[in-house]
Amino acid sequence: MRLEKCWFCSSTVYPGHGIQFVRNDAKIFRFCRSKCHKNFKMKRNPRKVKWTKAYRRLHGKDMTQDSTFEFERKRNRPERYDRNLAENTLKAIKKIDKVRVEREARHHENRFKGKRSKEQKEAATELKQSIDMIRAPAALQQEPSLILPKKVKVSSQQSEENRMEE
Amino acid sequence: MGGKCPHRKVKKRRYSHKTSRRTKFELKGDDAVYEELRKPDDEKKPLPVDEDLPGMGQYYCIHCDRYFASVAVRDEHFKTKRHRKRVKQMMGPAPHTQLDADLAAGMGMPDNGPKLMSM
Repeated sequence: MRLEKCWFCSSTVYPGHGIQFVRNDAKIFRFCRSKCHKNFKMKRNPRKVKWTKAYRRLHGKDMTQDSTFEFERKRNRPERYDRNLAENTLKAIKKIDKVRVEREARHHENRFKGKRSKEQKEAATELKQSIDMIRAPAALQQEPSLILPKKVKVSSQQSEENRMEE
Repeated sequence: MGGKCPHRKVKKRRYSHKTSRRTKFELKGDDAVYEELRKPDDEKKPLPVDEDLPGMGQYYCIHCDRYFASVAVRDEHFKTKRHRKRVKQMMGPAPHTQLDADLAAGMGMPDNGPKLMSM
């Protein structure tokens, strides 16, 4: 039994799911759901459709090169059944999956890094430029919490110095 | 090319028939055309004479997978926007395949094992 990947969105097609199209040149196209099948019939290019894995891969949204990708592959040769091997494989699958998820999360974090600082900068400038929309500029000048605290500090330092001299 | 959608409630406008839409699904897929274009010249065969096709199947456009009645018509086709768009598309990267889908899903290259026959 093989878990094939969808031609369009690259998700796993489990037995009993999806549909398969065999073209008259014997090429097989598997689809995980009618959404993917319809998109194929509309002759859409998966590389240009944003929700597919092919797009995400191509545009650096997801991890592309990783050692965990070397484990799952189509093996076109018969393997003699070995109980120990099967047991170890099942154990390894869990571990590898965990590693991959962690790396993926790290990749996403790195990807968002630039954006977060950019967003913060933008938010700061917006606050500076359009604070008048919430409060009138005249009211702002009178607001004690928004007056620059420089003058207060200077005066307090002076008073402290004065006290010291005294 | 093409034709209307077959499911029409209004009887008057229900003029779509499979024969009129045939060109749509008898068209070669992008990847088949792409492969055909990449073939070396010596592998290409001369076009067989087919009396069912326009112009006995002698005037063919590989890019658009279409037969034409005469050289003049075909050359006219070569000038069209549709054809030039198609040529540009075929010059670009290879079309999406199942292998691309597998790689995008996080699978490695297929493992065919060691070669049994030493060449």
